Amino acid sequence: MIAYAANLATLVAIFCILAATLNFIIGFAGIFSVAHAVFFGLGAYAGAQVALLLVPDALLACIVAAIVAGGLSLCLALPALRVRGEYFVAASLGLQMMATTLFAEAKAFTGGIGGLVAIPRPTLFGIEVGVLPLALVALALILFLTARLQHGAFGRSLQSIRDAESAAEALGKNVAAAKTLAVAFACAGAGIGGALFALHLSFVNVESFTMDQSVLIMAMVIIGGTGTLWGPVIGAIILLALPSGLAFLPFIPATEVGAVQQIIYGLAMTLLMVFRPAGLVGDLSKGRATA
Amino acid sequence: MTEVLRTESLARAFGGLQAVAGVSLSLHAGQVTALVGPNGAGKTTTFNLITGNLRADSGAAQIRGRPIMGMKPWQVARLGVARSFQDLRLFTHMTVRENVLAATETASWFWQPGGTRARAQRQQRADAAMEATGLTALADARAVDLAYAERKFLSMARILAAEADIWLLDEPASGLDLASRLRFGQLLKDAQARGVAICLIEHNLDVVVELSNRIAFLDQGKVLAEGDPETILRDPALAAIYFGDRPQEAA
Amino acid sequence: MLFLQLLLQGIQTGALYALTAAGFALIFGATRIFHFAHGTSFTLAGYAFLFCWNAGIPWWAGALAGIVAATLFGLAMERFVYRPIQRHEGSFFTVFVAAFGVAVVVQNLIGMFAGRGFAAVDTSLSRATEVLPDVFLAPIFWIAIAVAVVLFAALSAFLTRTHAGVALRALAQNPDLLRAYGLSSNRLSMLAFALGSAMAAPAAVLTAMTTGLNEAIGHHVMLISIAATIVGGVGSLRGAALAGLMLGVAESVALQFVDTQWAEAVSFLVLFAFIIFRPSGIFGVAQTR
Ligand SMILES: Nc1ncnc2c1ncn2[C@@H]1O[C@H](COP(=O)(O)OP(=O)(O)O)[C@@H](O)[C@H]1O
Ligand SMILES: [Mg+2]
Repeated sequence: MIAYAANLATLVAIFCILAATLNFIIGFAGIFSVAHAVFFGLGAYAGAQVALLLVPDALLACIVAAIVAGGLSLCLALPALRVRGEYFVAASLGLQMMATTLFAEAKAFTGGIGGLVAIPRPTLFGIEVGVLPLALVALALILFLTARLQHGAFGRSLQSIRDAESAAEALGKNVAAAKTLAVAFACAGAGIGGALFALHLSFVNVESFTMDQSVLIMAMVIIGGTGTLWGPVIGAIILLALPSGLAFLPFIPATEVGAVQQIIYGLAMTLLMVFRPAGLVGDLSKGRATA
Repeated sequence: MTEVLRTESLARAFGGLQAVAGVSLSLHAGQVTALVGPNGAGKTTTFNLITGNLRADSGAAQIRGRPIMGMKPWQVARLGVARSFQDLRLFTHMTVRENVLAATETASWFWQPGGTRARAQRQQRADAAMEATGLTALADARAVDLAYAERKFLSMARILAAEADIWLLDEPASGLDLASRLRFGQLLKDAQARGVAICLIEHNLDVVVELSNRIAFLDQGKVLAEGDPETILRDPALAAIYFGDRPQEAA
Repeated sequence: MLFLQLLLQGIQTGALYALTAAGFALIFGATRIFHFAHGTSFTLAGYAFLFCWNAGIPWWAGALAGIVAATLFGLAMERFVYRPIQRHEGSFFTVFVAAFGVAVVVQNLIGMFAGRGFAAVDTSLSRATEVLPDVFLAPIFWIAIAVAVVLFAALSAFLTRTHAGVALRALAQNPDLLRAYGLSSNRLSMLAFALGSAMAAPAAVLTAMTTGLNEAIGHHVMLISIAATIVGGVGSLRGAALAGLMLGVAESVALQFVDTQWAEAVSFLVLFAFIIFRPSGIFGVAQTR
């Protein structure tokens, strides 16, 4: 029971990191990425490889994961600089689908469909540690950083770009740099989440980094409320507690729990958008200024 | 009287339409130059060419002797140019204070350069800009919830806060009632006294006469005449064009 | 002859992509709604057909059921999801999330009730025979081409000859016409959704008879439709159809160089290249900032 709770808590912390970082670009920069699981995956593979090939040092794994995911976030930043709105969503969808194939095929880096197995237990400076405290520290750090960025000049810059890009640019804001940085920050955070995920499960494969996962993270942000600090955290907790809750319902066969969970949050997303967009997603649901 | 911005034969066509056909302008510190002309004359396009929002087909522009053609809008802005938009382009979902504060910062990096002192100064600038535009009481209202005149003043407040010394204003006074127009005129006069070079697109000729030192009359992408307000406005040929049979509603 | 084989296969796939993409483009042109659940119309039509086939219902009735399913779904989305969102002026993201939620729900319902993994109907029509040395073609190839040609001819006749069709086209070219002429936006929008969704059904039926369907195929269809619409140039039906055909051919011909699992990546690369280098698409006008 303790182990079960610790496992769930670790996963919640990791998904809180993912939701918080995705919220940063959706809620503040208006960059609606449907490819967050890609960077989660890149971080997981990078972290796992560090543990497998070098040392299972958690800090090193996280740093490498952040660099890999943050660096490759240019794949997402590039279309974000060129197009907006629906076009960008389409590009990120495509990126997600292509990355899934890549993860399944690039056997040298990802272990292919089988994934990477027997990842050693993490250590910190040579001492073995649990992932839960690491994940909590990382989450606290990332929440602190996102809060600082959101409420500082950078957050204001991103919001102004979101609302009226040309006006922000006319005030001297380097839109390309700001967007690229925001995306890199969010993706690096997702990468750290990935490294912790790999160390926690000691096994990763492409199943965890598919479009379904991206949609789950997006659902966490939306159900919790975009553009708020605690919304994504609450969304992550609700959606991760859901399968455990469903497991107690006798009339749902165990094999269908995943599907029922997806149906529930799919329905929640649609109903929220149709009936209560202003209440739960705040400002963004209203029409936005054309820039 | 120093020249701060000049353009030389700026031109730009959209497909077959020559929107701007060789516009040469010169803005001077402490002067208000009114850009006047019928709708579709190419006034807004001229601004867009200067600020780098559109690429010119030919021609050049300089700020204090420094060529700016090919620069990105944010680079031009950092040379001290602030512009307003005909359609305002406020940061709709941010509060009035955030709108104005955002104008004081260029932060494209994770933090805004400068320490606590600089931050306090930016706050002060923002407060002063809200005060001057009469928006202090509305500081926490979101831009999207403002009334028409308040929006126009918020657009002006951003420009005030940006501390630029070249202002390109695209119909900032259109649709304002008399009291608001007086307040707007005061803003312009104060800026002028501080040495700001202002280019003002304005349709209301009373406002133009009241506020401007010079007029450039634009029609079909060309500067037909340039000079002091009395001379230009007394020219019957220009008046015929201005009040001609072209539609007069806002573009 | 591998190349010719792949080319012909690509044309077959491309014809189906063209139909689906044209449906998407029709909806987007007339309503400015990026119908992210368009793939779901396709999935529903395919599974309706499969269901009828397995129940021993004649093929034409099954195809009809597919068309009805797709059309009803499109209409339901317009009426119960998009229209309420547009009424409170939702941003495109609201539209996207709502549509995506529906897509997720339908995908999982199909998975629960119809089973997961690929399902196909096996007909003599999809059995290939050697038509040229080393080039194999199934009768379904000709059917796919014929269906696409007939439907495009019918669509273009509808769009040029009928009052409603002309109105739809006018709307796509100039959205302001809607307000200016006081056209009934609700009726036109429903028409666009019905027609656009119905166009996905024949493609779905033919896909069920060739490569087969799975419950998640909607994502793929959606991506192809969006990619074709963007590559073709938003607002251009002909562009979307042509780009759909092109993507099908590109995916297939690429198999000469890469394995099957990369086929989709080819479409994405084309989309990506267009987004980076020519966001206005083949037939679009260059945008100014
Ligand atoms: N981005 C654009 N694309 C095509 N035509 C444009 C564009 N911007 C302006 N025009 C055209 O150029 C002409 C000049 O427009 P503008 O500079 O906005 O006039 P105004 O003097 O009223 O501000 C108009 O005929 C307008 O339709
Ligand atoms: Mg204008």
